[in-house]
Amino acid sequence: MIQLFHVSKIYPPNIAALKDINLQIAKGELIFLAGPSGAGKTTLLKLLFREEDPSQGQLIIYGKDVSKLNSRGVARLRQQIGLVFQEFKFLPHMTALDNVALAALVTGVTRRESYTKAYQLLRDLGLREKYDARPPALSGGEQQRVAIARALMNDPMVVLADEPTGNLDANLADETMRLFRKIRERGTTIIVASHDLDLSQRYGTRVISLQEGDVVDDFSPLKEGRAG
Amino acid sequence: MKGSHFGLVGRRVCSSLWARLWTHVLTAGTMAIALFVFGALMLAQENLQNLLTGWGDQIQINAYLEKGLGPEEVSLLRDKIQSFPEVERVRHISREQAWKDFRAALGAHSNVLEGLPEDVLPASFEIFVKPTYRDGPIVEILANRLRKEKGLNIVEYPQEWVDRLSLVVLALQWAKWVLGGILFIAVFFIVRSTVGLAILAQKDEIEVMQLLGATEALIQAPFVVEGLIQGFIGAGLSVLGLWFLVLFLRDQTLTSIGLFGSLGQLQFIDWRSIALILALGSLLGASGSVFSLRRFMKRWKG
Repeated sequence: MIQLFHVSKIYPPNIAALKDINLQIAKGELIFLAGPSGAGKTTLLKLLFREEDPSQGQLIIYGKDVSKLNSRGVARLRQQIGLVFQEFKFLPHMTALDNVALAALVTGVTRRESYTKAYQLLRDLGLREKYDARPPALSGGEQQRVAIARALMNDPMVVLADEPTGNLDANLADETMRLFRKIRERGTTIIVASHDLDLSQRYGTRVISLQEGDVVDDFSPLKEGRAG
Repeated sequence: MKGSHFGLVGRRVCSSLWARLWTHVLTAGTMAIALFVFGALMLAQENLQNLLTGWGDQIQINAYLEKGLGPEEVSLLRDKIQSFPEVERVRHISREQAWKDFRAALGAHSNVLEGLPEDVLPASFEIFVKPTYRDGPIVEILANRLRKEKGLNIVEYPQEWVDRLSLVVLALQWAKWVLGGILFIAVFFIVRSTVGLAILAQKDEIEVMQLLGATEALIQAPFVVEGLIQGFIGAGLSVLGLWFLVLFLRDQTLTSIGLFGSLGQLQFIDWRSIALILALGSLLGASGSVFSLRRFMKRWKG
């Protein structure tokens, strides 16, 4: 369960990126954070993995107040969150396998275990032949799958994806979304930030619309109405 | 950090050292020079200290006789001095003996004496003090009493030299830390900059590791180890340099003029000093890294 109580984020001098946000996200939900650029989607994701601190309010992930975590607590939180970035954030001198395995290596998993699991994930995501390629040599879709494999390495409770389909064509975007739905079936909460409203509506999942830092709509088709 | 992290740290250290090999070599070289200067002062200090200890063990007074004293007068004077309670024994050095001793001390350079008359050096007494009277003030009082004796021209005792050399040793001790301190500060900033370069070069890697949940200790450990290795290698090189310096000096003038030759060979620094240099080098390297990391990590706080 992810809970946000009156969360605001104000950047100096006085730019409100998020204004008094209250949200409840259940375990295993697949959610779209929709809205135009500058709506506050990325800021919200950054608060969730503690890259930023809220200016006000409380943010609780699985019972832990995120803003009260010390540096070790932040590291532990991030080990339980899978991150997928629009620009992927790979280490270009490492192979796809190395990049994926690194996520487990930093948590203290042995090299053998990390690499075995990384290989299995890449294989499951259709990259059996590309595991030793360096990211720049991979296509956009392949890089996306490597990023997803890395996000799943530590069996995260939550996956946060920032514009994961931003660089992909329609087919690859659909493929990525199918992957997310599959991951969700394991009970993982997935939060996808996207400015592509069509995409979010097409998948019939809960959509939280943000505009200028405010939640302007929270629509959940499963509940056939407004979620609050 | 968990045990399995050591492999990751080791691989990151190796890859960073290899990627910026020449920068690391230059930094280690700079550290080696700074620690060499420090070690050379330490070497001088330790050897002078040994010299002083040697002198302290054989306290004697040299009393030079006036010209024209007959053998009987010399014998009487010798007996008188021998009767002083502080005196253990008195040895008479004739002019001829003094000349022979001097020639022997000059060794291969004794030819510089050619053309000089053999009675140019004065006769003297070597007065050995009893161990119980070897405290500085007592020897000084005895020397002053001897100066009043008729027939004695000049009275010298090594304590004067011990005092002067003690001042030199003290000066060296201060110079070692003052000059060493200045050099260490310079080296600290050089290491800090080198590690800063390494951190900047690995900025993306650090950012990715932070996002993947690497602890601060795991991110910082490779840089600290890198600094430690640089420092240790620099210190090792300086110790090696000092060893070659000692080998070189042992063959050179100092032994031939008899300064150290009479009191044993020029000594290499002892194991405690070697350990101190190695520890200082490692500490300098590691602290340079830690301060550099602090600066950058604050800036990139994830």
